[in-house]
Amino acid sequence: MKPSPSHSPSPAPAVSASSGDSFIQLRGVEKAFGTQRVLRGLDLDIYRGETLVLIGPSGEGKSVLLKHIIGLLRPDAGSVCFDGTLLEDLDERQLRPVRRRIGYLFQNAALFDSLSVADNVAFPLREARVKNEDEIQQRVQEALEIVELGEHAAKMPINLSGGMRKRVGIARAIVDQPEILLYDEPTAGLDPIVTDVIDHMIRRMKKRFGITSVVITHDMGSVFKVADRIAMLMKGVIYFEGTPKELRSSRDPLLRNFITGRSEMTMRSGWGDRAPAHDNPIHPD
Amino acid sequence: MAMKRGPLQLLGRSFLDLVGYLGSLGMLLSEMLGALFRGRPRVLLMFEQIVRIGYGSQTVVVVTGAFTGAVFTAQTYFKFKDFGIESTIGGIVSVALCRELSPVLAGLMVTGRVGAAMAAEIGTMKVSEQIDALRAMGVHPVDYLVMPRFIAMMVSMPLLIAESIVFGLAASWLVSVVGFGIPHAWFWGHVVEHTNLEDVAFGMIKGFFFGIIIVLISCHQGLETTDGAVGVGLGTTRAVVYASLTLLIVNYFLTLLLTQFFPMGTGT
Ligand SMILES: Nc1ncnc2c1ncn2[C@@H]1O[C@H](COP(=O)(O)OP(=O)(O)OP(=O)(O)O)[C@@H](O)[C@H]1O
Ligand SMILES: [Mg+2]
Repeated sequence: MKPSPSHSPSPAPAVSASSGDSFIQLRGVEKAFGTQRVLRGLDLDIYRGETLVLIGPSGEGKSVLLKHIIGLLRPDAGSVCFDGTLLEDLDERQLRPVRRRIGYLFQNAALFDSLSVADNVAFPLREARVKNEDEIQQRVQEALEIVELGEHAAKMPINLSGGMRKRVGIARAIVDQPEILLYDEPTAGLDPIVTDVIDHMIRRMKKRFGITSVVITHDMGSVFKVADRIAMLMKGVIYFEGTPKELRSSRDPLLRNFITGRSEMTMRSGWGDRAPAHDNPIHPD
Repeated sequence: MAMKRGPLQLLGRSFLDLVGYLGSLGMLLSEMLGALFRGRPRVLLMFEQIVRIGYGSQTVVVVTGAFTGAVFTAQTYFKFKDFGIESTIGGIVSVALCRELSPVLAGLMVTGRVGAAMAAEIGTMKVSEQIDALRAMGVHPVDYLVMPRFIAMMVSMPLLIAESIVFGLAASWLVSVVGFGIPHAWFWGHVVEHTNLEDVAFGMIKGFFFGIIIVLISCHQGLETTDGAVGVGLGTTRAVVYASLTLLIVNYFLTLLLTQFFPMGTGT
């Protein structure tokens, strides 16, 4: 736990003794697109069985970070270690066994638009060479019911609403019971009730199957409902890392503004009066 | 100080671009070789593609072949009639169809029909992160998307060309025998005398290579697509243009090469 409200990236901690239960380690990860430096020497540990929530301003590189964990993007510098395997040592084909242990929800769901909802969800099972078609159908149906889409199995993705697509994406990510789930904004665009259903599902996966989860979200309600630990990505590094309690009690103004959803517009641009620095009651559970 | 762009720089630049492009194509080709040995064969997808590429292209290829045969016959007839040698039309037409007209025109038509579709389809999957979704599930996009198309194309193209030859000849027969009243025996006699199985093989082998060119260039454009809808449009256009031009250029050299193995029959 290192609440590090400093603006400069903290020096990379050596792989510590606690890495015994550290499932995934990112060390000094740097990634730039053209001249834009998105990740700037980022360090992060993900521990086995925990639910880590990743927050941070839009466009700061949360999705980019998640793609590094599964090897969809490769760092310009630094390393990603998955359960003792350095991803940089693996080529695209050798990554397969690693990726088969991971369920990934894309921010835009990334459903195959040539396949029906049921076939999308069945895809990981067929890839895992589950041969029994009855078993596939049954597991697909179960996964769809978890995300409350049991009746929509026959539809094509193009005919679904945005929130439905997202949920099909979730069903596809969980259907093969991976060891670790990476969710890129699982509840964005969902109504409050379904959001609660998804939040509960994430917790249940952890409790029942001991699944490790990394959840990117902008929904502070969800953050405090599902998180064991919270990491905030800002300016290309992990700006804050700690428990929900530590986040709530932090006095760092940036963190406080972020979790209460206060814009600094009035202070920054000089529109209107400088807002009085009244205290923010930080979201009480 | 801004560098002045002389023609030499421009030439150098385009040369480097070309080398880069060929390198990138080579990478895809080596990925495909990798898929052959390390990938998982996807028989079902392959049959699906054979149906879409081979079966689905028949109308286009047959119509192209037939009308090419017909018009070539008509033009040849008008000229040959002056010399009184119109009875030899069958031989000319069948050799031309087998060796050049059917493979090249069918190749170009399939480029437009199938190459464009491949580039657009794969390109759309790329920009909507569906390719990344495949990768995230441990599926190599080359195994899943390129190889089935590749094999389907190598199987389909030679057959499509054979089909095109048959319909081209049939059209030629209609035009000469039914249209211009050349006796069937003369027409057919010349066809059989001047055309060997080698000539048909010549065309089909060309088709095999054209298939490789079309798949390689189109899938490459699809996989390299960036920049959303505009990128998909651009990639599709490029796929068709690059594949057509490459096909025509390669065709010339293939003709020179294949003639070593299948020399033009001399007739009697
Ligand atoms: N393939 C890419 N090419 C170029 N730039 C990219 C690419 N992917 C991401 N970026 C840039 O990296 C930055 C981080 O993007 P990312 O999608 O990770 O943001 P994010 O934190 O997930 O934001 P949000 O919360 O809005 O989803 C953005 O500025 C984006 O423009
Ligand atoms: Mg994102």
